[in-house]
Amino acid sequence: MRTMSRAGSRHAYDRGPAQEALRLVKVAKTYGTDGSAVTALDGVTLGLGRGTFTAVMGPSGSGKSTLLQCAAGLERPDSGVVRLDGTELTGGSEAELTRFRRGRVGFVFQQYNLLETLTVAQNTVLPLKLAGRRVDRRRAREILTAVGLGDRLGHRPAQLSGGQRQRVAIARALVTEPRVIFADEPTGALDTRSAREVLRLLREAVRVHGRTVVMVTHDPVAASWADSVLFLADGRLAGRLDAPTADAVAERLAHLGDDVTAGV
Amino acid sequence: MRSVRQRPGRFLATLLSAFLGAAVVMTFGSLHDTAARPGVDAVSRETLSTTAGVVGGYGTLLVFFAVASTLTVNVRQRAAELELLRCSGATPAQIGRMVVGEAVAVALAGSAAAIGPSVLGGRALLAVFQDNGQVARSVEHSFGTVALLSGARITLPAAAGAALLAVRRTTRTGRRCSGARRFLAGAALLAGAAATVSTFAFSATDPALMALPAYGAISLSVGLALLASPLLKGVLNGLPLSGASGWLAVRNLRERTGHLAGILMSLVLFTAVATATLTLQAVESDAVRASGAVKSADAKNLETLNVTVVGIIVVFVCVMLVNSLYAATAHRTREFGQQRLAGATPGQVLGTVGTEHLILTVTGVVLGTVAALAGIVPFTVVRTDGVLPHQAAGIWLGVVAVAAAVTLGTSLLTARRVLRVPAVGAVAVAA
Repeated sequence: MRTMSRAGSRHAYDRGPAQEALRLVKVAKTYGTDGSAVTALDGVTLGLGRGTFTAVMGPSGSGKSTLLQCAAGLERPDSGVVRLDGTELTGGSEAELTRFRRGRVGFVFQQYNLLETLTVAQNTVLPLKLAGRRVDRRRAREILTAVGLGDRLGHRPAQLSGGQRQRVAIARALVTEPRVIFADEPTGALDTRSAREVLRLLREAVRVHGRTVVMVTHDPVAASWADSVLFLADGRLAGRLDAPTADAVAERLAHLGDDVTAGV
Repeated sequence: MRSVRQRPGRFLATLLSAFLGAAVVMTFGSLHDTAARPGVDAVSRETLSTTAGVVGGYGTLLVFFAVASTLTVNVRQRAAELELLRCSGATPAQIGRMVVGEAVAVALAGSAAAIGPSVLGGRALLAVFQDNGQVARSVEHSFGTVALLSGARITLPAAAGAALLAVRRTTRTGRRCSGARRFLAGAALLAGAAATVSTFAFSATDPALMALPAYGAISLSVGLALLASPLLKGVLNGLPLSGASGWLAVRNLRERTGHLAGILMSLVLFTAVATATLTLQAVESDAVRASGAVKSADAKNLETLNVTVVGIIVVFVCVMLVNSLYAATAHRTREFGQQRLAGATPGQVLGTVGTEHLILTVTGVVLGTVAALAGIVPFTVVRTDGVLPHQAAGIWLGVVAVAAAVTLGTSLLTARRVLRVPAVGAVAVAA
C-alpha cells in the first residue's frame, strides 16, 4: 500500500482541535418496554484518543453493536453523553444527526451497504454528493487506487467479490476525511485473505491518515490488528487489553464471564 | 394454501383487482341476462347487448392486465421464498402449481365477493339506461347464469394464466424479447397512425367518425407504452440534474428502467385513453348540441359507454399503479437505509423518490398526451372548424392531476412510512 501513503501524505498532519476523538459518559440504552426490556448498554464510560485503532469485543448480546451505533449517532442513547471530535451529539432529529455525522464519521459494515445502482466510483463519492460538497474525482480515484480498485471504477457492486466490495466501502468511508471511522464486523463475511487486506487498510487509515478507527468484531485475529481491545459484557465495560495478540484476546474472551463476576 | 392465510396483506391487491374485475364483468354480464328475458323489446335488447358486449371485451382485457400486474409484483416480492423452496427440493412444476393454486383461490374469493355488488351495479346501470330512455321502463333486471359464468370464466383463467406467466418469468432467468416488443410497438404505432389519418376520409356527420380517432389514439398509446423504457433512457441521458437527490434519482432510474416499465406503461395508457375518450365525447356532444339535433339512442349509448369505459379504466389503472408503486417502493427499504447510512437525510431520500417519480410521471404524461392529441386533432378538424377543442385543456388537466396525485402520492407516502424504520434496522431487515 505504498501508493496510499503517497496519496494521503497531504492529509497526515491535519490535526484538529480535539485531542480526544470519542468520549462516552455513562451512556445507557434499553430496548423494548417494561415487561421485555433488554438493557443493551448499562452506563458505559470511555474515551478514545485521536489516531487510535480500537477493537470492541464481547459475546453476542453484550451490547457492542449498540455501543457503536450510539457512539456514531445512529442510535440515540437513553441517557449519558456522547462527544465526537469534541462536539456533543445533540438529541436532534434524524436529519440533524445525519448532517452532524456527514463531516465527522465514516462507516464500514459487515454487509458493505453499497448502492447496487451506482458504480464503484459513484458509490465512493456518494457521501460528498449528499453533503453538497465539491466532488474531487481525482482524489476519489486516488483513494480507490490506494485500496487496489483503480481498474474497477465503472464496475457495479454486484460484479465484485466480497473483499473488493468492502474495500470500496473503506474508500467511501475515507473520502470525506472523517475524524472517526466506525467499522461493524468489517471482516465478518470475508475469507482470511480479504479480511487481512481490509484490516491492513483500516490500520493504514490510522497510521498514515491520522484517523481514529473503532471496530466491533468477534474475531480475536481481527482484534489483534488494533492498538487496544475493549471488552464488553452485559452492556458494561469488562476490561481492556493494549497491544493485543490473537491468543491473548481469545484467552481473555474465554474468561470474560469470570471477570464480570469477580468485578461485582 | 397456508401461505395465503399467513399473509393476507400480500394478496390484498390481487384480491382487489379480481374483485373489481369480476364485479365489472358480472355487472355487464347481467345485462345479457336482462336482455334475454322474455318480453324485452328489440331496441332495449340491442342497447343492453351492445353495451354488455363492448364493455365485456374491454373488461376481460383489463382484468387480465390488472391481475397479471398484481400477481407479477406479488411473485417478484416472494422471489426469495420461491428460491428457498427450489433449494429445498421443490421442482419448478410444484412451485408453479402452488402459485397458480393460490392465484385461483384468491380469484375465486374475489369473484364470490363480487356477486353482491354486481347485482346492485347491474340494477343501477339499468336504471341509468331507463332514465335516459334507452331502455324501456318495463324491463326488469335479472342476474343469471350468463353473468355468473362470465365472471368466473374470465377472472379464473386470467388469474391462472397471469400466475403461470409470472412464475415462468421469475424461475427462468433473463432472456429479453425486445425484438418482439419492438415489432409489436411498431405495428401498434402504424395501425394507430393509419386510423387517425383515415379520420379525414369521413364526413363530419358520419356516426362511425369517433371510432377511428379513438382507436388510433389507443393504438398509438399502446405502441408508445411498449417503447416507453428506451424513450425514458433517452430522457435521462439529456437531463442535467445537479443536486444530490436528482443525481441519485437519474442513476437509480437508469438502472431500474426494466422494473419501472409497467408503471410507465400504465401512465401512458391512462393519460391517452382517458384524455382522448373524454375529449372526443365532449366535442361530439357539443357539436350535436350546436346543430340543434336531438341525440339518437345510439349516440346516447355511445356516450354512456365511453364514460363507463373510461371510468373502469381509471379505476383499474389506479389500482395497478398504486399496487405496483407501493410494492416497488416498499421493496427498497434496504436501499433507503443504505442511502441514509451513506449520509442522506430523510428529506434527501424523499427528494430522490419524488424526483424519480416526477420524471416518470412527466414522461408518461407527455407520451400519453402525444397519442391522445393524434386522435383528438383529426377528429376536431373534421367535426368542427377548430383544431384544438376548448374542452381538451380542462380534461387534460384533470387527467394529469389524477396521474400525478396517484404516482407521487403513493410513492412518497410509502417512502415516508419506510423511512420510519431506523436506518440500521432497515439495512438489517433484508440482509
